[in-house]
Amino acid sequence: MGVIPQLSAFEAALAASLPAGDLRAALETGGLPHRRVEAWKWSDLRAALAKAPSGAGALAVNASRKADVNAALDHQPDLLMPRLAAGLSDGCPVYDLNDGETLFLSFEAGEGASHHIAAINVPAGVQATLHERYHAAPGGFANIALRIVLGEGARLTRIAEQDASPDGVLVVTSGIDLAPRAKLHQTTLGFGARLARLETHITHAGEGAELNLGGSYLVASGLHLDQTGIVRHTGPNGATRELFKGAAAKGGRGVFQGKIHVEQAAQKTDAQMNHRGLLLADGAEIYAKPELEIYADDVVCAHGNALGAVDDEALFYMRQRGLTEPRARALLTRSFLAEPLEAVEDETVRDALLARLDAALEAVS
Amino acid sequence: MLEIKSLHARINPEEGEGKAILKGVDLTVPAGEVHAIMGPNGCGKSTLSYVLAGHDGYEVTDGAMRFLGDDIGGMEPEERAAKGLFLSFQYPVEIPGVPTLTFLKEAANAQLKARGEGEISAPDFMKRARENAAKLGISNEMLKRPVNVGFSGGEKKRMEIFQAMMLSPKFLILDETDSGLDIDALRVVADGVNALRSPGRGMLVITHYQRLLEYLKPDVVHVMADGRIVETGGPELALELEAEGYEKFTGAAA
Repeated sequence: MGVIPQLSAFEAALAASLPAGDLRAALETGGLPHRRVEAWKWSDLRAALAKAPSGAGALAVNASRKADVNAALDHQPDLLMPRLAAGLSDGCPVYDLNDGETLFLSFEAGEGASHHIAAINVPAGVQATLHERYHAAPGGFANIALRIVLGEGARLTRIAEQDASPDGVLVVTSGIDLAPRAKLHQTTLGFGARLARLETHITHAGEGAELNLGGSYLVASGLHLDQTGIVRHTGPNGATRELFKGAAAKGGRGVFQGKIHVEQAAQKTDAQMNHRGLLLADGAEIYAKPELEIYADDVVCAHGNALGAVDDEALFYMRQRGLTEPRARALLTRSFLAEPLEAVEDETVRDALLARLDAALEAVS
Repeated sequence: MLEIKSLHARINPEEGEGKAILKGVDLTVPAGEVHAIMGPNGCGKSTLSYVLAGHDGYEVTDGAMRFLGDDIGGMEPEERAAKGLFLSFQYPVEIPGVPTLTFLKEAANAQLKARGEGEISAPDFMKRARENAAKLGISNEMLKRPVNVGFSGGEKKRMEIFQAMMLSPKFLILDETDSGLDIDALRVVADGVNALRSPGRGMLVITHYQRLLEYLKPDVVHVMADGRIVETGGPELALELEAEGYEKFTGAAA
């Protein structure tokens, strides 16, 4: 506390790549987020990158279409990681989604450090899908910031897949604004990296806006996935539903940090947040911190969190019927993890996500 | 078919104090016969069913269990199942998210695979499921639900017998299958069990009361007390117990 940390070689190289100014000073003073920073206490980015290759990396961004414009950013992020992404990117591709459109964005980080920022607008009344996929190669670090704005009455289905990336590091920070009557259904399916963090900040204007935030994760040995979501209700009559379910194998680490903040003006907010974690073996780790911070007096808000192991009696029952132990375990784990994915409306997308979950479960069992 | 010799078992010391429950059980059930085990609460009859099925909450400390000529003591629960041993649970377990038929088809195929046999075809499986469900008054809607989720105690027992019909085991252990059943459900379940009787199949019916045995008409009745079989007789023994209670045997065993 108060002690200026010694920068790692990675941090020093990163600082040197920035022009002199506030951002560079912030990095030089505080370094990258680390375990003594409350919001990063279970995800020590500094440690994960301390020995990572610091040269400029190649980030292959494959989009299903061209951006509408490549503009200067209209909005300055507050947090260090998206600030770095903004400061180290050449402009910002902006996608204005059309009604009925599905935009695919795939991010593949090669060795070295790369930064990217993009903006997605869903104009008023438009209904669209954003489908992202993330992977980092060994020695690769990608810092990606997305700015997503839903206009009045807009509807967005957002799917984010994060592929298992052993020895890669990934930070994705999404800042999302929901206008009145907008609806966002966001589902993540993640498998972790040396360190992966999917961080989502949502400003929820209420007035009939609905947020459905969920995801499943499965972290195998040596992999770490952090899902951090902060929802800020700023206006009245908003609804939020969150369901996250995850499983960790021996040596895997899952982190869930969820916060719902209800401002004084956000009366009649109806918000529920749930996280459930399954520890598949001794030596598996899941950390969870659900929080409610409420300043309005007429709201219905609840949160729940539970961690456990596979039910031994269910396991015995299934084995008595003839299933092998690994198969019984996989079936129980699968049925546990499938729930958030089953809420995805599009059948093709849902089945594809469930198939990826099945394949990953086969690999860990 | 099933031979149990001087079987001693205790609660697995990793999970408890290692208390001895079975203290020398001797029991032989030939193929085609139905044997009942009656006994007071706590005598070890449910433990016997778990130990036979291979539950790791118990540890066999002495004696032997042979099924179809093989020592099953060292086998995993799924190996015993594939060999043809079926346990109808006293408290069937709920498995959220796994539909009943999906589960049973996978279980049937796992057993076939373990025995080196080919998989059952989906149409054949569905046809048998419909026929067996009809015999037990089980609706299509119940079959689509996750295993045992939201079922009443009686419905769960009915589903256990349905599962036995679908898996065609060589030997059934019915652990307190009559508990939680009203008289109509008892009759349906007993009819289902009777339909499973065959010259090649053995059964061990564990019960506290005589009423299920009125329908099942066992060949042999054993009385268990304090971890041992203390009396063996014909169906008349069940009636005698019903009239006189277990005191005679618990007294003798103490």
